[in-house]
Parts: sequence; structure tokens; C-alpha cells
Amino acid sequence: MSGLTSLSRRSPIEAWIDQAAEGSQLRQGMPQPLRLRSTAAQGTAVTLTEVSWHRRLGLKGPNAEAWLVAHGLAPAPSANTWQRANGALVGRLATSEFLVEAMESSAQVAVAAAAAELYATDRPQGVYPVVRHDLVLRLQGPKLNELLRQICGVNFQPLLSQASAEQGPLLMTSMIGASVVVVPVRGTAGAELILWVDPSFAMYFWTTLLQVAAEIGGGVLLDPSNEV
Amino acid sequence: MMRLPTLAGEWIDRTRTVTFTFESEPVTGYEGDTISTALAAGGARVFGRSFKYHRPRGFLSFANHDVNVMTQVESVGRSIPNVRGDVEAPIAHSKVTAVNTRGGLKNDRYAFLNRLSTFLPVGFYYKAFHSKRLFPTWERLFRRITGLGTVDLEASHRSTPKRYDFCDVLVIGAGPAGLSAALAAASTGADVLLVDENRALGGSGLYARAGTESVLAKTETLVRAVLAEPRIRVLLSSFASGYYADHWVSVIAPEAMVKVRARSVVIAQGAYEQPCVFRGNDLPGVMLASAAQRLLYRFSVAPARRIAVLTANAEGYAAALDAKSRGLEVAAVLDLRATPGPDSADLMAQLSQQGIRVITDVKPIEAVAGRDGSVARLRYRVGGSEEAIAVDGVWMSVGFAPASAFLHQAGATMRYESSIEQFVPERLPAGLYACGKVAGAYDLAARIADGERAGRQAVSALGSVDALPVAPVMPVRECPNHPYPVFAHLAGKEFVDFDEDLQIKDIENACQEGFDSTELLKRYSTMGMGPSQGKHSNLNALRILAAWRGDAMGAHALTTSRPMFHPVPMAHLAGRGFMPERKTPMDADHARLGAVWMPAANWRRPEYYAVPDVSREAAITAEVHAVRNGVGLIDVGTLGKIEAHGARAGEFLDRIYTARYSNLKVGMTRYGLMLDESGVIIDDGVIARLTPECFYFTTTTGNSATLFREFGRLATWWGIPVGLVNLTGHYAAFNLAGPQSRAVLSQLTDMDLSDAAFPYLAVREGLVAGVPCRLMRVGFVGELGYEIHLPFEFGSELWRAVLQAGQGHGIRPFGVEAQRMLRLEKGHVIIGQDTDGVTNALEIDAPWAIKMDKAFFIGQRSLAVLAKQPLRQTLVGFQMPLGVTERPKECHLIIEQGRIAGRVTSVGFSPTLGRVIGLALVDPTVAHQSHLRVRREAGVEASLEVTSHPFYDPAGARQKMELAS
Repeated sequence: MSGLTSLSRRSPIEAWIDQAAEGSQLRQGMPQPLRLRSTAAQGTAVTLTEVSWHRRLGLKGPNAEAWLVAHGLAPAPSANTWQRANGALVGRLATSEFLVEAMESSAQVAVAAAAAELYATDRPQGVYPVVRHDLVLRLQGPKLNELLRQICGVNFQPLLSQASAEQGPLLMTSMIGASVVVVPVRGTAGAELILWVDPSFAMYFWTTLLQVAAEIGGGVLLDPSNEV
Repeated sequence: MMRLPTLAGEWIDRTRTVTFTFESEPVTGYEGDTISTALAAGGARVFGRSFKYHRPRGFLSFANHDVNVMTQVESVGRSIPNVRGDVEAPIAHSKVTAVNTRGGLKNDRYAFLNRLSTFLPVGFYYKAFHSKRLFPTWERLFRRITGLGTVDLEASHRSTPKRYDFCDVLVIGAGPAGLSAALAAASTGADVLLVDENRALGGSGLYARAGTESVLAKTETLVRAVLAEPRIRVLLSSFASGYYADHWVSVIAPEAMVKVRARSVVIAQGAYEQPCVFRGNDLPGVMLASAAQRLLYRFSVAPARRIAVLTANAEGYAAALDAKSRGLEVAAVLDLRATPGPDSADLMAQLSQQGIRVITDVKPIEAVAGRDGSVARLRYRVGGSEEAIAVDGVWMSVGFAPASAFLHQAGATMRYESSIEQFVPERLPAGLYACGKVAGAYDLAARIADGERAGRQAVSALGSVDALPVAPVMPVRECPNHPYPVFAHLAGKEFVDFDEDLQIKDIENACQEGFDSTELLKRYSTMGMGPSQGKHSNLNALRILAAWRGDAMGAHALTTSRPMFHPVPMAHLAGRGFMPERKTPMDADHARLGAVWMPAANWRRPEYYAVPDVSREAAITAEVHAVRNGVGLIDVGTLGKIEAHGARAGEFLDRIYTARYSNLKVGMTRYGLMLDESGVIIDDGVIARLTPECFYFTTTTGNSATLFREFGRLATWWGIPVGLVNLTGHYAAFNLAGPQSRAVLSQLTDMDLSDAAFPYLAVREGLVAGVPCRLMRVGFVGELGYEIHLPFEFGSELWRAVLQAGQGHGIRPFGVEAQRMLRLEKGHVIIGQDTDGVTNALEIDAPWAIKMDKAFFIGQRSLAVLAKQPLRQTLVGFQMPLGVTERPKECHLIIEQGRIAGRVTSVGFSPTLGRVIGLALVDPTVAHQSHLRVRREAGVEASLEVTSHPFYDPAGARQKMELAS
């Protein structure tokens, strides 16, 4: 066997990044651009930030909730809600189906370790791992609601106005024809949405969303955090 | 010039001009003008030709549905048909022409049709032109001499993004009632969206002034309050086009469609003024009084110099005062009633003070055209004698029809209220309210009060599923509607429907012929089927129908009203085109390798990889050779990829697929065939058992999402606790196939790939280039091969790593076309290509895949029944002689003794065998024949030699690697 044992994770929108950005740094094993080329839309009315590099995991099954609790990732009590636990966002998609996204540096390693355990061939009883390589986006800006009104039939305005940093509702809906998981979150710059999109739709979703955003003065915002 | 002196609040900007041409003549208007007001300001009276008789026409309603001013606009390389001149602004330097003319508006060569009207009665085409032989000729003729604008087939696509909007209360119509409703709703804290098709708030409160400032002042007070209310958002120049379930309302804004979801809706759209039906009522210069008032106040255009007002309500008297206040000469007010009502009497005094005479009990005879074709005289009968009055304008104000389209669409019922001679709401669905003229309130104070009532009700019932009682009709001092403003003339030309050129006799003749209900009458006569959709004609037609039958008006309902309320540009309906397309993680790699794409469900896949200076066929052939003789790599990540977990997962799959999986050994795979209840094949795939309680299986590309949903439904239905996980999008997959595949793969993994450790049909989990993968030894293409499934985010990297590792073995990526040929050589069927919507499992000769001894699987009972009956069709293989390259195509028919005996399902030139091979579904009675005839294009037939299949390596030795071992 050759020494090919260190393949890196790849963003689901790598093809776009190759064209529109330059420079690279590894974030949780995934190359992320350092700068945008001048050709990329960079308006600020509404910004799209890709954070697919976050560590995440998904699971379902009768023992899934207990498994999460045991790993310090206690979920919110009811379906279609999320809450923060040890730096991770723990979403309950259904009664016994969950999505965990490391939101802070401190959680990346822990979630990665939990994911490695979960996805190992020696599977825990009653816990069904759900592999998740989503395109993950953070959307924010003063025209966020205007963007959302062009891409989705859900009224996000009340959800955004009530967004919390610690917990809140979680929606599974469709945007521009693709299924998405959506979480409104109160961030440092105000209310924002986090979206999880099936990676096979990633290029379509990203380029379409960016086109709509650019029309209303929006653009790409590279992840400003220093997390790696 | 017909432009009047400047007036505060007029909608035009006199500091900025717009020039364009109309019928090649230069026209100059102001910013804010519509096409027709700019024309009228320049003195024009005729704007278009009628649909059927090509009669000259001018203004009628000037209310967003004036078919008489339909134009074709050419501007900057675009030709836009059916631009409504009454509402659309002229584009600077555009070329505007009237639609439906031959030789131009002035010299329309089809004007002679007006003289032939006697020979063109209602429904004449049904009776005269039904000859099958001649019908195409007549159809072409009619299409040429009737119709509207011309579609520009070269027009570029306009992107008009749709958007959603949400509110507590949607108020449609921003006249006094709508303004009042919006304010009342907002005052309780509700989020209100107020929509109006005009460019300013106020509705008729801005133009129906009766020559004073009182109505205007009250309206402006409401407008200011609305604009100051932060909880009211206003959408102007936007019309609601349709009302759909759960208070979904489509709103057509200038550049986009807005889909509004409201919790309550208030309809305050007012009423359409209706014409008086008398001979010559369509002459240019004869118009609705409200149209004239809009021209006077919004655009400062005088549509005439000396007018007569033909009226039957106080609104007509008010219009006369408006005309006078704007400097027009009012020759007379001609009242159809013998005794004007109290409101009219009040206004009559003001008219008298201004020297305007009022004549009552008038019956119009006809409007007579002058030399220019527009009205010059009005003849009428009064007190038993005929009189005439010289005018260049006749304003009709005889009543209104409620703008109740959305009430009908929402499921409301209406009743005829005889006290006001109008249909009013009888029962409204929950969350829907009506106010103002549409609900029978006409007086300004009544409309404002009614709006306030509706606004408050709309908020109080938010979220309720129960309808509130309909508010009683507000009492009126004077009936606003004449019960029968229809005056027949022996010479006809009393127009009921101006869109379709329908006269009184047309309605009566239709009734006479048995089409004497509203819906039949509409369809036979085309009443209300023109661009204005009956807004100015349905009510009068109903009156004529009721009178003809001797019924009361309330005995008949108006025709069903459907979206769209006004004409909607196709670009708005199409909106921004969202075309979701899925891509595998290797998509960019394929592009770099020269992929020529083909769609596969909502994915795109490489059909083949283009090679410079090499033909498509040669490139595909080279890909086939690579797999047969070396090694190839194909992206199969579009397959559905699903996991089933749980102690009863095997039992679940036993019920889904025809084979048995509960006895499948861990680490092995088995082919799966899926049927519907009738035994028809609907899908197939490979099922792998990873652990005793975990199965991983594939579906065909197009069915993955549908089947995943169905599996969930079935698990619930059957009560089997199985955990289903859809990994389709999150897993990549590619197939490394060919005699050299093991050698290539061994460079990237420490897994034991030997036949003993990893035999044919086995599945293994392990690391490949450090990436956790699932490998299945399957043989779809008939060679040693490994289907490698792995996490999406490593797909591209590992694809490149495998190609790198295979360089020394001549590895070549191959596409769908090569794969199709490789599997055809093996005789493997593709579900949906070699089967169709009725092919059952017995017809593809795969008994090894069907375990009828199982307790149950979907389709089992049907197969048991079908097994006792003769087969309807069966799959056979065929080949053509060596050297023959002219081959049939898929779906070409097998012909036996002059009848269809089957069809070709797959065919191609096999590079491996050097001849054309294929599969066909045929009648079993011909399957045993040595040869079949296939009919190709143009009736050319060819002979097919029936042969066994697989065509290549029938024992399957190569995929099992027995040759190598």
C-alpha cells in the first residue's frame, strides 16, 4: 500500500472556491480559503458564510438520546428544537433523530471524537449513525429576511426576531427546491440562520443563493472566526 | 390639446416628457402618463379596433381592463404583445401599435367585417365551419383576422424573481373602505399589508369628487393616517391576481409575483362601473363616467369638450359636476329614471346653479358617429318624443358590479340584494371579509364605517376556523344601480361585451338556442372570455338572460370566477427558474477529464469522456475496452444509498424485495428486485449485510427519494421497528472494474483482497487511502470489480487517488454509455429501460431472484396469479450478423405477420463481440423463433437473430475471477 493515508476533507462547494477564492488554510482537516477574488460578490446586505468545515454528526434510533447525553451533548426535550451543549448545537430533528454541529473551537475535538466512535464499524446498540457531510451556511445581514422571502415559503421574520443564542426552534423545509434544516440563532452580529443542505445539492444551492443575494446587495463573507 | 391645467395631486410630472410613436405618429406625453392618456392628451380619440368587427374604439373603463387600448410595444429589440394602454406607461422611444389590425389602425382592411355582422351571429363558426376538410383553412383565417398581439418568439427570458410575504391581515383595495379597514386592523397591533393596483392610495376617493374638495379631503386624511402607521405596509401598482386555499393570495407587482400568506383577508376592491347598453355605446367618446373622472383628476386629460351624462344614479350627477369643475361643457344630464333619488336631487340643485339641465325618464336610442368615427350626437327618447343632443362625449353612469372575484374564489356565496340591485356577500369563509362597494356600501361615510368594521373583525378572528356572520348591507338613500340599463335597437350594435363584440341579439339568440344558463351562455357566446374577463359585461348579460327567461335576477348566479384577475405576464408566472441539480463530489473531476454530460433524474452524469480528435463512438469503445482488458473507474454515486437498522431489518427487506435477506450472511451481498402490488418491477439494487442488524443497500438513481419515503411508510404500516437512514447524498460511490482492478486497489489499502478473504458478492468495510469505505465485489459490468462507497467529503480526493494508482495499469474513467454496453454484453437489465410500467417479474426471466416460498413480499400474490397465466411478454436477446452496423434503436417495433409483437429495449454495437447485440421484450409466441423482424425508421425492416444471453462470459467467470485464479 502506498502512503496515501492523509486525504483531506473537501468542501461540498470546492469547485466554487477554486474559482472565486485563493489562499488556503486547513480547518478541521478541510481546506478553507483565505481571501476572495475580486470577482466574487461581496456585498454586505446579506452575507453567506460557509462553515461546512465544522465537525458534526448525526444519529437516530431508540438509544440515540442516551448516547448523546452520555457524550455531554444533551438534546432539547422536544422535536424540532435545538439547544447548545458544551459548545455544540444539538438539534432534535424528530423524536429520536439528532444532528450535532460543533459551533465553538472547544467543541470541535469533542464532536470529532464522538463522530469517530459513532461511525466506527463496532456500532453501539440501538444507535444508528447518520453520516452528515452537509453544506453548512450561516446567513445574516439586514436584508436576510428579503433573501429568505425569495427562496422559501416559511415566514422567518418572527423566528429571527425571537432568535436565541442558546436554544430555539429547528425547521426542516425546502428552499429553492432543496431540502434544508434551518436554525435561527442569535449571533454576535444579530440574528442569523444556519442551514444544513444535502451536499449533492451544494453547488446548485450555493450558486443560486449567491445569485439571489447578490441581486439585493449581498455576497460572500468568509468565516471571520479564527477557529481551526 | 386635451390636456387640462395643472391640478394638485395629478399623477403626471409636467417637467419631464416621454416621446414614442403610435401607429408611426410621434406622441409626446409626460412622465406618469399611460399610453392612452398620452394619446388622449394629444387629441386622439381612437386607440384600437374591436376583436371581431374591427370597429374603432376609444376609452371605455380606463380601469386596468380596457381592451380597447391593447397595444404592441417594440422597444430595444423586444416586442411586447398585449400591453394595456390604460395602465402601462409608454417606454421612451418605443414604437407602439394597436393590436388586431391589418394595415394599421386608421386604415384597417378588416373594417369591412363590421358591415358583415349580420352574417356573423353568435356561434356562427360552430354551425358553418365544422367540415373536417375545410376546418384548417377557416381556423387559419380566423386566427389571422381576430386576436390580440403578436408573440415575439425570439424574446429573451426575463428573470422575475418571485417572493413570499406574510401578514396578519391582507387588505386588497386601497379606496376609502380599504384604507379604513387597514387602519382599524393596524390599530389593534396587527401586521397589515395593503395592496392596490393603482399607483396611489385613495381609490375613487381621489376622483369621484362631485366637483368639491370634501370627498378628497376625507380620503386624503385616511391616506395620511395609513402612511403614518408603521404596522401597515403598502404595495402599490400591484394587483392581487388569485385567491388560493388557506388565504394564499398571489400579488402581481411591477417586476415580480409576490405570494402572500395572510391570516385574514379583507376584500375592499370596490365595484366596476357598468356600461349602459344601447346602439353605438362603443363609439369612441362614449365611456364610463368613472373613466372620465380618472382622466380628469389623475392625468388632467379632458376626453371630450362637450358631454352628456347618461345616468341612473347620484354618481352620474357627481360626474357631471366634476366635468364642469374641470372646465368641460356639460350639455345635459340624461337620467334614465323618472324620479331621481334623494342624493341625486341634492346634486341636481348644484347642477342647476351651474346652468346644467337635467332631463329625466330618458331612453337612449343611439349614439351617432361623426366624420372621424367618434361620437357626435346622442339620440334619445323622452316623454314620447325623440330628441338629439350634439356632444363629443357621452359618459355612462348607470350602475356597478361588485368586484367579487376573490370572494367567489375563496368559496363565498353571493345573493342578489334587490334594494340596491346588486349581488352582495351572503356567506363568507372563515378569515375572509368584504367591505365597501363590494359589500353594498356606497356612501363615503358608509364605506369608511364598513371598512373599519371589516378591519376589526379580521383581527378579532385571527386564527379562528369559524366564519363570522356577514355584516348586513349598509342602508343607502338612493339605489346606485339601474335594474335594466339595456335598450335594444332594431339595427343592433348595442354592445354588451366589448371584448368579444357581443350585442343584445347575440345573448338572446344564444338563449333561444338553448344556452340559457350563465355557464352555457358564457361558453357558447364567449361572453366574458376576453381580456377583461367579463368585468364590464357579465352583469348586463345576466340581466338579459334573466329577462329573456322571465326570471328574477336572483335566480341566476354569475359565472365562476377563476384566477387570474387581470392579465399576468408569463414572465411573472414563470418567475426565476429554480432547477435543482445534484452533483457527486467528483463532478469537477469529471469536467476536468472531459466529461460530456447527460441528465440522470436530477443528477448529471458523464455520458462519456471526450477525447480530442476522437469520435463519441470511438471514445466509448475505448472505455469499454479499458474495462474488459485493463481497468476502468465509473462514478456511481447517484445510486440511492440506504441503511436499515434493527433486529428485524432482515425481515423488513424480505418483505420489500423478492429475494431473502434474513438469511444473508454478514459480509455478503445479494441482488434485490422490488415489485409493486401487481407484480410489476419498480426497482432493483444490491443489498449488503454489514452486521447482524445493519443492512446497506442501493436503489436506482431516480427512485431513491421516493423509495426512502415509501420504506418509512411501510415500516410504520407493518409495525416493524426498523431504523432507516438515507445516505444517498452524503455518500460517494464509484466502481473500479476490470481485470486489473484488484492490483490497483491493493496499492491503496491493507485490506485482504484475495478471493478467499474477499470473494465475489462480498462486502467489506475498511480503509482505502485512509478513508473509511464500504467495498462490494459486484459484477454489473461483468468483470472483477469493487464498488467503493465512502463519505462525500473524501470522494474527490479518493477518486483522484485511485486514478493515480491506476496509471500504471492504463486506468480510464468510463461513463454511462460504456457501462450500458458492458452490462448489455452481460445481459443485465436496466429497470425502466428493459422493463416498462407493466413488466412483471416473471417476464424478465430471473427466477433466481424471486423466492416465492417466502411468507410475504410485495407483489408475491400477484406473481402467484400471473404464474398460472400465459406470459404477456418475455425478454429475449438478439444479435445481428457480423459486419452489420446499421442497427435498430431502442423502442423500434418487432413486427410479426403484420402485427406488433414487441419492441427493442436495449441495443448497441458491442466492441467486445464485434457485432450489434440487444434485448427485446416480445410476445412469447415469437420468442422461440430463430429470427425476428424489426421495423426501423421509414418502415425499413431488418432481421434479428434471437440468441441466448448473457452475450459475454455467460458463466460469469470473469467477475468471479475464476480465470485469473
